[in-house]
Amino acid sequence: MKRFLYETYEAFKIAIQAIRANKARGILTTLGIVIGITAVSTTMTVMVGMRNSFQSQLSMLGTDVLYVSKQPWIQMDDWWKYRNRPQITLEENFKLEKALSEKVIAVNPTVGTTRSVKYESKSLDDIFIKGTTEKETMTSSSLPEFGRFIGPLDVQNAKYVCVIGAEVQKQLFPTADPIGKRIHISGFNFKIVGVLERQGKFLGGLGGPNLDNQVAIPITTFLKSFGRSRGLGLAVKVDGVEKMDDLQEEIIGAMRKIRKMPPSREDNFSINRQDTFTKFYDGIMGVVGLIGVMITGISLFVGGIGVMNIMFVSVTERTKEIGIRKAIGAKRRSILTQFLFEAAMICLIGCVIALVISYLLSLVINIFFTASLSIGIIIIAILMAITTGIISGLLPALKASRLDPIDALRYE
Amino acid sequence: MLIDIKNITRRYQIGDEVVHALRGLSLQIEKNEYIALMGPSGSGKSTMMNMLGCLDTPTSGEYYFEDQDVAKMNDDELAEIRNKKIGFVFQNFNLIPRSNVFHNVELPMIYAGRDIATRKKMTMEAIEKVGLGARAKHKPNELSGGQRQRVAIARALVNNPSIILADEPTGNLDSKTGEEIMNVFEDLYRAGNTIIVVTHEEDIASHARRVIRLRDGVVETDEKIEGRKVFKKVLVDA
Repeated sequence: MKRFLYETYEAFKIAIQAIRANKARGILTTLGIVIGITAVSTTMTVMVGMRNSFQSQLSMLGTDVLYVSKQPWIQMDDWWKYRNRPQITLEENFKLEKALSEKVIAVNPTVGTTRSVKYESKSLDDIFIKGTTEKETMTSSSLPEFGRFIGPLDVQNAKYVCVIGAEVQKQLFPTADPIGKRIHISGFNFKIVGVLERQGKFLGGLGGPNLDNQVAIPITTFLKSFGRSRGLGLAVKVDGVEKMDDLQEEIIGAMRKIRKMPPSREDNFSINRQDTFTKFYDGIMGVVGLIGVMITGISLFVGGIGVMNIMFVSVTERTKEIGIRKAIGAKRRSILTQFLFEAAMICLIGCVIALVISYLLSLVINIFFTASLSIGIIIIAILMAITTGIISGLLPALKASRLDPIDALRYE
Repeated sequence: MLIDIKNITRRYQIGDEVVHALRGLSLQIEKNEYIALMGPSGSGKSTMMNMLGCLDTPTSGEYYFEDQDVAKMNDDELAEIRNKKIGFVFQNFNLIPRSNVFHNVELPMIYAGRDIATRKKMTMEAIEKVGLGARAKHKPNELSGGQRQRVAIARALVNNPSIILADEPTGNLDSKTGEEIMNVFEDLYRAGNTIIVVTHEEDIASHARRVIRLRDGVVETDEKIEGRKVFKKVLVDA
């Protein structure tokens, strides 16, 4: 053991000497590894960054919120299966709320459409109009930045009031105070009572809606003005993530009871939750990530071949040295360790440079979405570099360790 | 008995031709002998040296080194024997060019797994012994030929080997420096070491106490030299 340590330290010293003695060659060889490791670690940084920003946006949905809707959010099978399902009505919402009243924090119904919004001469197209109730402040993270949210009386009396998104405010009221002003949506007149906090794009990378481009109105007003037949989505806020699974069963039971469905019939509604998205995302990005790492892995592989090549040169050049070492008592293992170490060192030096470059790149990537070079990625990069070094050093090192000392000593 | 060689042969295959380098050679060497191994080229001298140095194993026959059966050893066992029992001194010094004197001399002890304090002490002792104490930090290319050979001798000595095996140790040195190196061997012999010098120069061989001449892969003559001229003991510094 002790001997192994001494020999390892010796191998380390030799490696440093050898690399220092051939600086230009070392730099060129290292370059391949630098490019390879940079590619791999940057790809991983991007992947992790995308997932994190996806997650943080998903958190808007709330980890402890279940969504009851006509269709599942992500449809893997045929869409017409869901088309003929009945819409969820406001009545069903109240029944469900009553049935779950003891077990959940809140149930909030929402309904939406896209309309143009006008204020004086300005007009905004494709604004998401959302019918909701005062309970939305409990089920989602949309809170008014100033003014107030829709209140219970607004809902009860189907008042023409609205809360506008941050982007709507910016476009229609760049300077003026919007509170109390009136906007027009499809000929209806809404008084602005509040402005929502800026939220950013939902699932930005995946083309989701811009949550700041919305106008929230009382759901009763919505149904009265834009059509009663529209289907609702119900958000059920649960008291703690650990109760999600139980509550999901509970909701299914309650909905079936409300709809008086016989046990033989399949559910004609869907329960969605945040992790549905997560699973879907992970499924897709898992494949994308694998392909990405494989492609970048190729550049590391090419770098590894470069190291192997230079190690063969190094072994040939130092045949005599190997002979001397063997003559004075170096065993095969000692020689093997020496050259493996050298290859690993070249790769490690490359890895350090690559990590510095990757860090700088991660700062650039961070402009687009939150990304950082994590400890995990650094560790993976180092392990990959060492592995590359050992794999590419193995054949040359074996060749060196098997040299016959007599032939090696005679080599000029 | 230090070395007991019985009827060894060594054959090489070079292309289609089989070369019989050693043809049933027997030899015994005792502790604290000073031997010159001589012979014309093709006599099997080099093969014999490789054999004695445990760099090679015989095709047939027996070779006992301090009662250990060398003939049957594998590469790593041979390396161990070379490391602990044999100190090599080569014609062209064979130092590691990138390492300084200290590290060159220390190397056999690293492979022997000696601890750092012992290594440092014994390395310095060996370097002092060959009179290069002041040059421990120099690289081989900063030294003269004679100094390089002294470093090689220090390296050969450092693990307290059973034999010091020198292959034409003065072949690359001028005669004055060569004489100095032979003085070092004389001192080592007087201090109780066993020395085998492989040479084709009668001058060099005349320092030894026993001269073994090979021809055609066998021992031709094996004579002890008594009453040789007394060598003047000079250890020239640096």
